[in-house]
Amino acid sequence: MLCQNCKANEANTHIKRVINGEATQKHLCSSCAQSLGYDNFFSDFTFNLPSLFSSFFDDRNLLLGETRADRCEICGCSFEDIIKSGNVGCSNCYKKFYSKLQPSIQRIHGKVKHSGKVPPKTAEPVVIKEKTAEEKIEDLQKEMAKAIETQNFERAAAIRDEIKQLKGEN
Amino acid sequence: MNWYKNKGNEGDIVLSTRVRLARNLTEYPFPIRLDEAQRRDIGNTVKEILDTDKTLKLNFIDMSSLSSAETVSLAEKHLISPEFACDTLGRSLLLSDDEDISIMICEEDHIRIQTVYPGLSLEEAFETALKIDEILENKLSYAFDENLGYLTQCPTNIGTALRASVMLHLPALNKKGAMQRLSTTVAKLGLTLRGSYGEGSEVSGDIYQLSNQVTLGISEEAAIKNLNSIAMQIIAQEKQARALLIKDEDYLDRIYRAYGILKSAYKLTSKELINLISYVRVGVSEGILDIPAEKLRELTVLLQPATLNAHSGKILTQTERDILRSQKVREELA
Repeated sequence: MLCQNCKANEANTHIKRVINGEATQKHLCSSCAQSLGYDNFFSDFTFNLPSLFSSFFDDRNLLLGETRADRCEICGCSFEDIIKSGNVGCSNCYKKFYSKLQPSIQRIHGKVKHSGKVPPKTAEPVVIKEKTAEEKIEDLQKEMAKAIETQNFERAAAIRDEIKQLKGEN
Repeated sequence: MNWYKNKGNEGDIVLSTRVRLARNLTEYPFPIRLDEAQRRDIGNTVKEILDTDKTLKLNFIDMSSLSSAETVSLAEKHLISPEFACDTLGRSLLLSDDEDISIMICEEDHIRIQTVYPGLSLEEAFETALKIDEILENKLSYAFDENLGYLTQCPTNIGTALRASVMLHLPALNKKGAMQRLSTTVAKLGLTLRGSYGEGSEVSGDIYQLSNQVTLGISEEAAIKNLNSIAMQIIAQEKQARALLIKDEDYLDRIYRAYGILKSAYKLTSKELINLISYVRVGVSEGILDIPAEKLRELTVLLQPATLNAHSGKILTQTERDILRSQKVREELA
């Protein structure tokens, strides 16, 4: 099995983590494990959280086919910037990249719905609604057309599979 | 109440309790994308709002006005994060006289309200943080989403954006080799156990920080209650382990030797001090030595390198510091 991070070396470090009762597994080579902070006695407790967050993005395919239009209108941050730094650019990015961020958020927290304190007023509340399956498919079809145009067939095939999966679920 | 000058509940084991709430404003991008002027604007806005509350009395500190020793000293006392100390440009801090409230402006988030209490005091620390949050939320428009809660620069903090932590002294559990098992166990409960300066810090003097990890989908009250109950269980285990540990004559000898070195050494490095005090603290909690617990805590906090430099008003060499440190320890334990 190849390392999930560099996809070049043989994975020899296998990390299991359980958050809120949900188990995830990572398979890494020793140098990636070290650079991601997994080599320590305290395994995942001592390395910093932004890099932990970046490491949650297993699917590097999310980055392929990214264009200028995929930048946040408010701060200009791209999804790649978020992955690289582990930091989100502004509150609007959460709205802009919601569907891409959501799986990682789920993996980190185990949940995706806030429970707790709510501020009394938000002058311009950022409303983030999850897209419906139809909307998602529409977005993906546009993206697939773009990928074919740029002869990025690998990406196009990945999107086709994703669409299939979405359609299959409904 | 100053955390290192008072003992607090379970003060033999719990050195301090900290609660941190992260808040961001809708009209600015997150701090990594802010310039110096914007950082200053946010600091001034927060200051103006908090100045209207007469009970708080916070000192406004422009971080770039401090010497590097003063800045690092604040981090050594856990009043700011090490990361905040590294880049002070445009950043500011609101700090109470007792050092129990510290509000970092433009650290990882626009506003980080932090409260520090001595001993185990989660509810009180949370209440104080909440009080400040309530003053601010009426005047500011917070970045908030009904599904994701309070929005933060790093997605690991979204939701309640609450990080509560207790600093624990666990020499007996560490000696027993129980720490790895313990950290695995608490991880399953949505908590983390790590070195005393948080992310990436190494463990020294058997001091660990237990904090909540998950912030989305769990209410503030539930997170605090959960952390409190796990902390209580760890404290009970540590007490049990300490009672057994002092029956070991070799360990008992180490306690007395540590005390002896502290009382008579001519030079002490800060690492050596922390390690020796770790033994002495067990001696104190088990009734072998008679020293107030808060005195030991104060020594470990105030005799750290940058804090010593900041107090003496000049940069001392390491040897000068080590001599000064041992001198102060001898005075305090005399």
